[in-house]
Amino acid sequence: MEMRQGEFLLGKLDDVARWAQSSSVWPLTMGLACCAIEMMSATNATFDIARFGSEVFRPSPRQADLMIVSGRVAQKMAPIIKRLYDQMADPKWVISMGACASSGGVFDNYAIVQGVDTVIPVDVYVPGCPPTPDGLLYALNLIQQQIRQGGRGGILAKV
Amino acid sequence: MPSSQNPSIAGLALDPTGVRPDLGDAEVLRVGPSEIHATLTALRAGGCTMLLDIGGVDYLGREPRYDVVYHLLALPAAAADVKTVGRPRRVRVLVGVPDAEPVLPSAIDLWPSANWAEREIFDFFGIRFTGHPNLKRIQMPEDWSGHPLRKDYPLRGPAKEATPRPAFALKSNVPAGAPPAGKVAAALQRQIARARGQEPPKPAGDEA
Repeated sequence: MEMRQGEFLLGKLDDVARWAQSSSVWPLTMGLACCAIEMMSATNATFDIARFGSEVFRPSPRQADLMIVSGRVAQKMAPIIKRLYDQMADPKWVISMGACASSGGVFDNYAIVQGVDTVIPVDVYVPGCPPTPDGLLYALNLIQQQIRQGGRGGILAKV
Repeated sequence: MPSSQNPSIAGLALDPTGVRPDLGDAEVLRVGPSEIHATLTALRAGGCTMLLDIGGVDYLGREPRYDVVYHLLALPAAAADVKTVGRPRRVRVLVGVPDAEPVLPSAIDLWPSANWAEREIFDFFGIRFTGHPNLKRIQMPEDWSGHPLRKDYPLRGPAKEATPRPAFALKSNVPAGAPPAGKVAAALQRQIARARGQEPPKPAGDEA
């Protein structure tokens, strides 16, 4: 839409802020296991996560909005994940990617946490072993939807 | 001749090294804990300049219970082309470690690369290395209790293994340390018989 000089649009601040926020959900650069390979391919040209404004993987949790738990969580890793999550600035979201992050998957043993939701709150679970990049993109879309509807953690969400 | 360091084949299924055919990929030595350091020193002086890895195995039910395996490689002293190098000499040193006193001398004075490998063995099998400067856990969290690669360590951890699994989640309800049974045991017996050069026993129900 072309806008000539002097023209303007009216909108609610809520909608504009939510549109901006949902279009720039920046994930944390964090890969835990084989699901991370699918997460990386989601950033490549074929799947192109940049279409949804999430191509900027941030190396610092201070600059990230979204944590993609991509893989099994070892008992030793759990406190580190909790710490990274705590370091992320509010509002923040979590995608639990794949069977292992969601439930422990096939690794029902002493070394693996049986679901990352025992450590941090999770917004969207993606099934699969590993999930396809499309699955991850859909999870991202769900989070965007949630933000646009003023859901949990939205910039102007009612607490 | 069978001894505590050369377990008899009667220990059978619990010690695959006793029945496995020689692969011919390396010289294999089996020594005791008391002479391991002298053996390694001699090998180091004899040209085995590289310690590739140290492994641990738990043969629960055998005496000595553990095997610690040193994988050594003799690199040529001078730079040579591919033709003259040929196949480098490899040595595998096995040392049996008793459960009562799981202690070995550290090999760090010979190869600094033994540092992390020995920590890993300590972490997973609880075998201590005297003379190690920093013998603490390397893979498991530092406050972990128990040594997970011991065969009698419960798969899901001591606390969780006590609780029964729901029926839909019967992933591995074989208790830790249980001897192989059924088809697995039969296949193992055939493999052992073949390695001994005997006629393998026929699978049950295969007469006709």
